Amino acid sequence: MTPSPALRGWLLAFPPVLFILLLLVLPLGRTLAEGGVKLAIWQDPYFLGRLAWTVGQATATALLALAVGGPLAYLLSRYAVPGKSMLLRLLLLPFVTPTLVAVLGLTALLGPRGWLTGPLGIDLDGTPTLLILGNLFFNLPVMVRLAYGGFSRVSPTLTGAARTLGASGLRAALTVALPLALPGLSAGFILVFLYSALSFGLPLALGGERYATLEVEIYTLTAYQLRLSEASALIAGQLLLTLTATWTYVRLLRGGVGVPAPGLPTARGGVAALLWTLVALVVLICFGPLLAVVARGLLGTGGPTLAYWRGVLTDPDTPLLLGNTLRFGLLALVGAALLGTLHALGAWLARSRTLDLLSLLPLMVSPVSLAVGYLLAYPALSATLPMLIAAYTLLGFPLVTRSVLPALRALPPRTLEAARTLGAGALAAHRTVTLPLTLPALRGGAALALATVLGEFGATLVLTRPEWATLSVGLYERLGRPGERNLGEACALATVLLLLAGLSFTLLDGGEGEVT
Amino acid sequence: MFKQVMFKNALRLGLLLAGAAHAQGAPATLTVITHDSFDVDRKLVAQFEKANGVRVRFVKGGDTGELLNRLILTRRAPLADAVYGLDNTLLPRARQAGLLEPYRSPNLAKVPAAYRLDDAGLLNTVDYGFVALNYDRAAFARTGLPLPKSLDDLKKPQYARLTVVPSPATSSPGLAFLLATVNHYGEAGAWAWWKEARTNGLKVTRGWSDAYEKDFSKNGGRYPIVLSYASSPAAEVFYADGFDPRKLPAQSPTASLFLPGSTFLQLEGVGVLKGAKQPALARKFVDFMLSGGVQADIPTRMWVYPAVSGTRLDPVFKFAQQPDVLPVKASVTANPQRLVDAWVTNVLRAR
Repeated sequence: MTPSPALRGWLLAFPPVLFILLLLVLPLGRTLAEGGVKLAIWQDPYFLGRLAWTVGQATATALLALAVGGPLAYLLSRYAVPGKSMLLRLLLLPFVTPTLVAVLGLTALLGPRGWLTGPLGIDLDGTPTLLILGNLFFNLPVMVRLAYGGFSRVSPTLTGAARTLGASGLRAALTVALPLALPGLSAGFILVFLYSALSFGLPLALGGERYATLEVEIYTLTAYQLRLSEASALIAGQLLLTLTATWTYVRLLRGGVGVPAPGLPTARGGVAALLWTLVALVVLICFGPLLAVVARGLLGTGGPTLAYWRGVLTDPDTPLLLGNTLRFGLLALVGAALLGTLHALGAWLARSRTLDLLSLLPLMVSPVSLAVGYLLAYPALSATLPMLIAAYTLLGFPLVTRSVLPALRALPPRTLEAARTLGAGALAAHRTVTLPLTLPALRGGAALALATVLGEFGATLVLTRPEWATLSVGLYERLGRPGERNLGEACALATVLLLLAGLSFTLLDGGEGEVT
Repeated sequence: MFKQVMFKNALRLGLLLAGAAHAQGAPATLTVITHDSFDVDRKLVAQFEKANGVRVRFVKGGDTGELLNRLILTRRAPLADAVYGLDNTLLPRARQAGLLEPYRSPNLAKVPAAYRLDDAGLLNTVDYGFVALNYDRAAFARTGLPLPKSLDDLKKPQYARLTVVPSPATSSPGLAFLLATVNHYGEAGAWAWWKEARTNGLKVTRGWSDAYEKDFSKNGGRYPIVLSYASSPAAEVFYADGFDPRKLPAQSPTASLFLPGSTFLQLEGVGVLKGAKQPALARKFVDFMLSGGVQADIPTRMWVYPAVSGTRLDPVFKFAQQPDVLPVKASVTANPQRLVDAWVTNVLRAR
């Protein structure tokens, strides 16, 4: 008697679930238990203001992302656009860019006397513009890709039929494609909202005191003021908000990208103008800061220079930084690929929304509160290598799950049945059908996980040691010292990180990866 | 097949992790926790390891404020044997939390009395520095204004809107500057100064990096006056494009602005943690940090002055000046956390 799929699913998902329990639920509970939860803090108008701002800036980002990404995704799904798959693929790069790199790029372009703001005489100091643009930099790609997935599942023959019956292009889009793609669009909206509401590095670096979000306040209360009971109340409130949004997201989600219809028409006239304007806007927001960082590493006070690169390349520490980055990245990749695949298989077989939700948790829980929890729950393991790799794995494996799961759900069930009918055993059917059809997604997810881990600044989660310095640490340390050489070298190191992220995609991903 | 592959991977991961854990299990390991800016020549550490038959394992505890809080959180299961990087602004809380085991290094005799942290030997001073306002010479000249002469000048609109400081609540130089203002004006007077300066355009950032690397005009920002350290002008020369130690420039692009009552003497020390597994080695490490080799090595790594008198300084330090700092009233350093809380309520969140 074989066990039911649900049981098999939960058994498969046991290792990742245990991992989440040990590295997330337990430490988080330990943090909340340490100082108790002082709920009275929620009566303080200051913190209510922080909550309002956190929700407000995330909503604004999600609306802007929808306004730009939605129409662009629709047009991309309806028209033949040269370089379309290339664009969709490159859009993964901002998603895995280290926060510090993005901050450097945005400041170089739009900071005081930035390359764009300087000549135009615009002063963005004291406004949240940079923060919102930073949010968009990271999240527009998420929106475009998810919305594209949603629209591409709507067959062009449906909108075509509406057009034949006399509807205009706009009307067909609004009355036929939009309702059908709505779950994908809403899912994108909620995911962007969540990422923007919970992001920590960006508001920390770009928001200042005035535009601090809840996550920044949690950090200040724990790391600097050691007021754990107040921090715990904020953590609990934020968790409630997050879980509600995540639950809605999981319910809305439909997996997989539709098969692009062959023979799409080429856009003309007004549609083409709109399409290319949107493409230009997305490219500017998502790649402008990256190019600025690369350029900043090549421009000295006296014009173009290779001095910063020479400085980085001749620094005796650089091989250590590079070696550590690769070593930790690959170790975490193995863990992430393994746990992520198991989790995805489990959630798919068990058809469990709970498992689905669980896999999103590591992306949604405040890293600051986890860091305190690790110190309290595992003092003997702090500053040990297994703890560091485990923390990196925790950050990477949800990306593998979120990539493999939609691919599994999109598997045509009849193909498996056909294989079985033709005489294949259960294992053989999986090997010849499931594996080849999901491998691209696994590779895509693994590339995302690797790129994320490469750029991760591990010290947010665990105590590190000098001999574990990575490229991100080298970058951070240079930004902590005065002088133009340090800033220039930081940008050169940032370029190396971007190249590594790009390389990991080229090696691992066939361009099929989708994160949902 | 698929499962087999995964099983092999799991095995491989387990072996890798076990190998990594095993490599750490060397006999007699001394763990030293430091703030993130700590840096010392590895050759010196190797000599110490050889002389004492020990392996030193450094752990980064975050910036100075975070470091203290992490030590307090884990005081029941200490993270390390010795700690370097706590300073005179944090010593009262460290003492209150009972984190440190007293040990007076014999080398402390060579540290001038004015730079010693406490008599019991909870912390032995390794180095000192001055938190001080800096200005960008070129950018300030462009404003056509004379330099401000006092903190009273600095809070006026024409100067306050040119000034950026990191927050006392989230940065250690910011805290030091807050203490300096409280020392100078008294509490009520300090809150009034901060409020007026903020109304007149003083910018408060979260950390030192935000203020110095983004908002300071020298690095592309709008503010030609920034709160940093008195040694920063020397670091500016050292880290300038095309620095050549044989051809030092005439002057640094930045300079310190020693307004009376605006500077603060920061003393950083090393001490033995209570509950240390290797107390004897930890004491040896305290001596090591105050030894000649380390004292001569740290100035150009951490941009601080060595505490032991007679230590030779790198020539680039001629671009840094040491201000005359009056001793701070004991009441000011007795409970800095209370002053930070009061600053947050009275200044930062005041409407």
